[in-house]
Amino acid sequence: MDDREVRSILSVHRTGESDARLREAEQRAGADLALADWWTEEQETDRAIASKLQEMDVPSTLKPRLLSQENPPLMRQTAWRRRILLAAAAIVALAVMFGSWRGPFQPAVSFADYRDEMVSFVKVDPALELKSNELSHVRDYLAKSGAPSQFQIPKQLREMQPIGCRSLRFRGHDVSLVCFRRGEGKLLHLFVVNRAAVPNLRATAEPQFSPEGEWMTAAWIEGDQAYLVTTEGDRAKLEKYIPSA
Amino acid sequence: MADVNFERLVEEYYMPLYRFGLSLIRNQSDAADLTQHAFLTWAKKGHQLRDPSKAKTWLFTTLYREFLAKKRHSERFVDVEDDSQFVEPQQIAASIVDSLDAGIVQQALQALEPRYRAPVALFYMKQHSYREIAEILEIPIGTVMSRISRGKAELRKKLTDAAAIEDRKVVPLQREHHHG
Repeated sequence: MDDREVRSILSVHRTGESDARLREAEQRAGADLALADWWTEEQETDRAIASKLQEMDVPSTLKPRLLSQENPPLMRQTAWRRRILLAAAAIVALAVMFGSWRGPFQPAVSFADYRDEMVSFVKVDPALELKSNELSHVRDYLAKSGAPSQFQIPKQLREMQPIGCRSLRFRGHDVSLVCFRRGEGKLLHLFVVNRAAVPNLRATAEPQFSPEGEWMTAAWIEGDQAYLVTTEGDRAKLEKYIPSA
Repeated sequence: MADVNFERLVEEYYMPLYRFGLSLIRNQSDAADLTQHAFLTWAKKGHQLRDPSKAKTWLFTTLYREFLAKKRHSERFVDVEDDSQFVEPQQIAASIVDSLDAGIVQQALQALEPRYRAPVALFYMKQHSYREIAEILEIPIGTVMSRISRGKAELRKKLTDAAAIEDRKVVPLQREHHHG
């Protein structure tokens, strides 16, 4: 267990809830002054955040409202609300008959959803299931996990060493995530999923660039796989590894 | 059957329940409705609970289920699966910690990815054990811990970013020059 791992474990530590890993981390902190200092500071920060959350105002009208045991306004069934619901039901029935509407409860999975979720996942450095600089080991691991492993990597990415990988799930589809270190202490992430998972991604081998907050993404289709590459920074940062035609 | 006095239950838990609701759903009125729904459901069905000591967890679970039910109607649902590994949160400068106020923390919490928001809120509320948080959120305890770990890391980033924005808002006052 290295210091980084000890800090990761201690950051979720709570008194009285120890498992073997937490106990070991606790012992390490007890024997290492730097770790002990870090942990003291960590607990002070947590205490400050917790105390601020306790200061969140609670409306003075809430308690009497709860004690009166009235229904919340949104739950009250009024005649006009019933009429609106009936009208909405009729519209839904018509829409379903014409077959072009999927309904509010089963939204169509869009490529934007996929891109948002994948990028949000790697904004905090992801925990890797396999740490390896060998692409062949990465492929073997992903294959064993049931995630896509036979994917094509752009030339510029092939020249970089991966640092590891993990598998994810997106709406029932296995996703491979391979991480590369690109310098400046930053990572570059490659996601591969069966193209059926993102039916509305334009079927083109030409990368489509799109910003996601302070991150840039590039996506393309090749064979039956959908590729998504992302890194923190602007388009020029990503084009060094994923050149546009 | 649970022998729990309704008024005492309200007295004891309405504030943490409301704060949990507010951390999930950014709107005060919706948070109040979620809290009210939880207590109303208790008034109707609480008697079915065999173990009175579970009343607190039951109320939080009920509030969270109602939140999910509303959320499924209005938002897409994130289902990237987690593992049980933790990440190291970044340290926040002592000056930032000292300058935190409830509003900034609340905004940062509400800006978290939905899958992290509830476990992190419950972690900082210190009302529940990890096992109880797992029961409330209906996810395995390992997932609770990894979401708390990742959520805390994300929260720290947001608090640091918010402090940087606040710093940029500080405009130095122009000194008045008196001539003569």
